[in-house]
Amino acid sequence: MTPKLKKSLLYWLLLSPLCVVILLPFGIMFVTALRPRDELFVYPPTWTFSEFRWENFAEMWVKTNFGGALLNSLYVSLTSTIIAIALSIPAAYALSRYRFSGKGLYRNFLLMTQMMSPIVLVLGLFRLMVHLNLVNSLNSLVVTYVAFNMAFTIWMLQSYFNTIPRELEEASWIDGATGFTSLVKIFLPLAIPAMVVTAIFTFINSWNEFVLALTLIRSQNDYTLPVQIFSQVAGRYQVEWHHVMAATVLATVPVAIVFSWLQRYLIRGMALGAVK
Amino acid sequence: MASVTISGVEKWFGTLQILHGIDIDIEDQEFVVLVGPSGCGKSTLLRMIAGLESISDGEISIGTRMINDVPARDRDIAMVFQNYALYPHMSVFDNIGFSLKLRKRSKQEISEKINEAAEILDLTPYLERSPRQLSGGQRQRVAMGRALVRDAQVFLFDEPLSNLDAKLRVVMRTEIKALHQRLKTTSVYVTHDQIEAMTMADRIVVMNKGRVEQIGTPMDLYDFPANLFVADFIGSPSMNFIEGIVAADNEGPFVTAKDGTRLAISRESSAALGQKVVYGARPEHLVLASGNEGFDATIEVIEPTGPNIQIFADVAGQRICALSTERRTHKPGQRIRLHCPETSVHLFDASSGARI
Repeated sequence: MTPKLKKSLLYWLLLSPLCVVILLPFGIMFVTALRPRDELFVYPPTWTFSEFRWENFAEMWVKTNFGGALLNSLYVSLTSTIIAIALSIPAAYALSRYRFSGKGLYRNFLLMTQMMSPIVLVLGLFRLMVHLNLVNSLNSLVVTYVAFNMAFTIWMLQSYFNTIPRELEEASWIDGATGFTSLVKIFLPLAIPAMVVTAIFTFINSWNEFVLALTLIRSQNDYTLPVQIFSQVAGRYQVEWHHVMAATVLATVPVAIVFSWLQRYLIRGMALGAVK
Repeated sequence: MASVTISGVEKWFGTLQILHGIDIDIEDQEFVVLVGPSGCGKSTLLRMIAGLESISDGEISIGTRMINDVPARDRDIAMVFQNYALYPHMSVFDNIGFSLKLRKRSKQEISEKINEAAEILDLTPYLERSPRQLSGGQRQRVAMGRALVRDAQVFLFDEPLSNLDAKLRVVMRTEIKALHQRLKTTSVYVTHDQIEAMTMADRIVVMNKGRVEQIGTPMDLYDFPANLFVADFIGSPSMNFIEGIVAADNEGPFVTAKDGTRLAISRESSAALGQKVVYGARPEHLVLASGNEGFDATIEVIEPTGPNIQIFADVAGQRICALSTERRTHKPGQRIRLHCPETSVHLFDASSGARI
């Protein structure tokens, strides 16, 4: 055994408790999702089961109105991501390029908003949405997600924008570009990795958000996925665990796949931001 | 092509004054180098000509047009940046042609111009590459190409060679000078490297702490530095300075250093007896003397450079440098006599630093 191999084995051994903690819930999720209903509660619990019940997914889709919730979730997450990025770009650009009074204060303010949990604000937000007549509308979620994510997106984009040499824009101005042309043709194309990374984070934050969605959305038709899945468990006489788990698989796995595919941008974006 | 007139230009950043009333007249087709230590304001001045920094006070004109409030894109200038500022997501072709595309020139005209510039700069084989795939020297050439296709009135260079290695710097220096001799576009070139300034400039502007110290041709500055700063800054290795007091006896006037060393000066010198002065002698003017001529020195370090030998020696408690082309075998610790012909001596007032 080479020393390198020994080292890797040792590291994996040290990491394994952590792996168990992370992977066990996923294991149970998959196994339960694929089990026939009458094998759900066997004692002692087993990892094996008699057949792969792929039908669980189809049944669940219909019974839990999964499609509707999926569309709601997609609408909320995509819209809030797009709006957050679109609004953050000018803000981050200004923070990165212009000198103005109160800049440090503003940056600290952005950071401070991140220290507050949305749960603390949930009651106030609810009152606000009542006042705006937005309760029970998906747009209330869009607005709050945009607001909650923007501090992070501005901060991320700004630190990346700082790494894009100012001279590139200056060169384009001298070449005859207006401020806007320079932004569109020179600056933003170079900022794509940062925008992708930030968008991924925003999307995932919105996709997973639970507390606000639970509070602001009252009617079942407008539930997003986390709330919809939760509603299959909470306050029920009988919980269809195989459906719940099938739903969680569908809610998490596609996103995880997209995320890992986009990971190359993530690493490149972060490395670029740090080292360049 | 056009002249550039800078008159009474000041730059303030908040309450901090960076430039204190700069006046420079740059003639049409002239190659002017702004040189000075870092922080002297030379880059700021260049960026003000370019339109990248606002002008706090004074006026800058290109030709007859006052450009204080003209945005950079309308000033009809081209600029080469220190880090080249090539657009990383565009090919060399698009980098060079970006300005032409913005001006909505026809496709044919654009590619003709780019090919012409590429030919001048030996870039033809690299037109399809991205900047990342080029070496430092090639990137530098692309940056030049971007300026070339513009047919701009004025070329501005902001330390364009400082990112290159020593050898390439010398090559590119010559290329830029040759290019200017061919195109004759009025050029303003910023550098902190006095050798670059000496070799390239028609006229040099020496700047220090936001002020112009002296303007003149390279040889003017070298032979007649207006003050201590210019004398020290221009020339490598730089001029030797020894402080002393002017005295005279029947052999003529001289400067007495602190330890009494006698440094002969010219009879025509206008220095007053008893005046505190700084005696300056360029290393190449210090020659090994025999007999009674000159003054005593103790060799401390010897550095052969190839064409000549740099002798660092102690004179009156100060380390000075002498250049010798003789390959005599001197040794550290050895006592020698050095002599500077009186006509080559520079004298400066000790308090004001001005040339006497």
